[in-house]
Amino acid sequence: MSRNVPRKGVRRYVNAVNLGGLLIAACATLPLFWMASASLKGPGEISATPPSLLPKDPTFANYDTAFHRNGIGHYLLNSVVVACVSTVLILSLAFFAGYALSRLPVRGRGAIMTALLMLSVFPPIAMLVPLFLMERQVGLLNSYPGLIIPYVALNLPFAIWIMRNYLVGIPGELEEAAVVDGAGPLRTALTVILPLARPGLFTAGVFSFTATWSEFLLALTFNGSDDRRTVSVGIALFTSQYQVPFGVIFAGAMVATVPIGVLVLIFRRSVVSGMTTGAVKG
Amino acid sequence: MSSVSHVKAPATAPEDGGGSAAPTPGRPPVSLNRRRVRAGWLFASPALLVVAAVTVFPVVFSLVLSFWEVRLEYGGLRLGSPTLGHYEALLTHSEWYRALAFTLGFTVVSVTVELVLGTLTALVLERLGAARGWILALLLLPWALINVIAAQLWSYLFNGTYGAVSWLCEQLLGTQPDILGQPVPAMAAMVVVDVWKTTPFVAIVVLAGLMLLPGDVYEAAEIDGANAWTTFWQVTLPQLRPIVAIAVLFRILQAFGIFDLPFVLTQGGPGTATQSVAILGYRVLFQNLDFGGGAAVAVTTAVMVLACCLLFLRVFRAHVDEEGRA
Repeated sequence: MSRNVPRKGVRRYVNAVNLGGLLIAACATLPLFWMASASLKGPGEISATPPSLLPKDPTFANYDTAFHRNGIGHYLLNSVVVACVSTVLILSLAFFAGYALSRLPVRGRGAIMTALLMLSVFPPIAMLVPLFLMERQVGLLNSYPGLIIPYVALNLPFAIWIMRNYLVGIPGELEEAAVVDGAGPLRTALTVILPLARPGLFTAGVFSFTATWSEFLLALTFNGSDDRRTVSVGIALFTSQYQVPFGVIFAGAMVATVPIGVLVLIFRRSVVSGMTTGAVKG
Repeated sequence: MSSVSHVKAPATAPEDGGGSAAPTPGRPPVSLNRRRVRAGWLFASPALLVVAAVTVFPVVFSLVLSFWEVRLEYGGLRLGSPTLGHYEALLTHSEWYRALAFTLGFTVVSVTVELVLGTLTALVLERLGAARGWILALLLLPWALINVIAAQLWSYLFNGTYGAVSWLCEQLLGTQPDILGQPVPAMAAMVVVDVWKTTPFVAIVVLAGLMLLPGDVYEAAEIDGANAWTTFWQVTLPQLRPIVAIAVLFRILQAFGIFDLPFVLTQGGPGTATQSVAILGYRVLFQNLDFGGGAAVAVTTAVMVLACCLLFLRVFRAHVDEEGRA
């Protein structure tokens, strides 16, 4: 162990850090690489011992099966509809709520924010039965709104937190200038605050989209029928056939992972700022 | 929006005297403020109503169901008379205790491991140069992976006959363990997957905390002749505590509600070894169709989560006050 202060390591120490970085990168990505590789393997090779790192005879047969026999394309479409509509609704509601709770004189703001923070970590199993019964009563089971409505409600608390924390930091002068010009709260919100709120909206949006894209418990319970299944349920239930078709599962998994992976990489700054929103500012 | 406030102004605030419609030069701040108060509630209420209707109301409904005799019939739910039977059944049933024990054990072990590995990762990332951004980006991939896919991927890696992890175990230990087929290895496997998937989150939060630490404390420590180890334990860690505390709370509550991972990776097995409270609740509800019993599981889980939150907030607040006064 070097006797130096961490910031000024000797050369050996720098090498250890680089090795550590390499190890971290390998741990994070090796399983994903394994999945990508396995999705290209034929039925014999995928269950061969010793396992091979790269497919000897790469084939797209698994992707073909996933799309044409297991209908992964249909599940994807369901996921896209549910996640996109939910995210748009979450963002519009969270923008106004965040604006009100950060810049307008709403009484009991502190209590509301604490309640929202607690709700954002509440286990969904606690709401599962009543929601199921309510949806059954009004005939929302196995429909898009049947998932979109609970998704919006469950992801709003965190989105409001992100928006509120972001909007608190916008200087008040711009808003005051708009008020002096005679703009009402709605016009101020839409013309002054909204353009400045874009980074906050990106963060809330990418978190909402990731959460709704991945959600499993409600999707399994409310939209179990094949025509309204989302991708996570579809991939989980691939197993229920007599033999576990890992190649096809991974082909489907790759198709479901690539969009979300690209999204997260594009918006990586927003993701990082969202992760630390509760910690740094809360 | 403004037209709405104009119409409502005289009705709700007669003393306003139409001030919001035509602000008199003498007292615009009053009417302006009223208007802003009203706009505040108008803007906040749609979101708050949706949240209340879909989360708060069902939690209360669960509470009611858990104290009533419930039957599911064609027309819907039939409520009988009030009863404590669901809780009695829960508390006398060993399956609930086992699920609770597994969930608590899983939560404690995985969050602890994630905290240690996450802090180590953050310390490495902090010292990295140009490569930091790249590795940070790579770390987001497991975090963003759908839980169900992570579970399928690792069930392949842990597979007893051709899984890569099993093969590695055979090379290192000489025997090929049936990882998911035995209780303790299956639990350990569950921790491994959770750690793989969520350590990035902890690492990123801790890294953000590290970046916020003022540099002068380190210089002071250097002047005092502290080595890296002492500096970490006595300077870095205490200052990270508030940030780490919130990340840990998030992780504890998430781990406590775990459902997707055991559902796909082990189906709660072997036997009921990896049956989490959420899995138990789901089974009672949708396999036994025991809605009262399921509600009781849900309510007890919710109560424990709330207690954990409140306790945490208390301890954390106390700690902040202590620091503030010191």
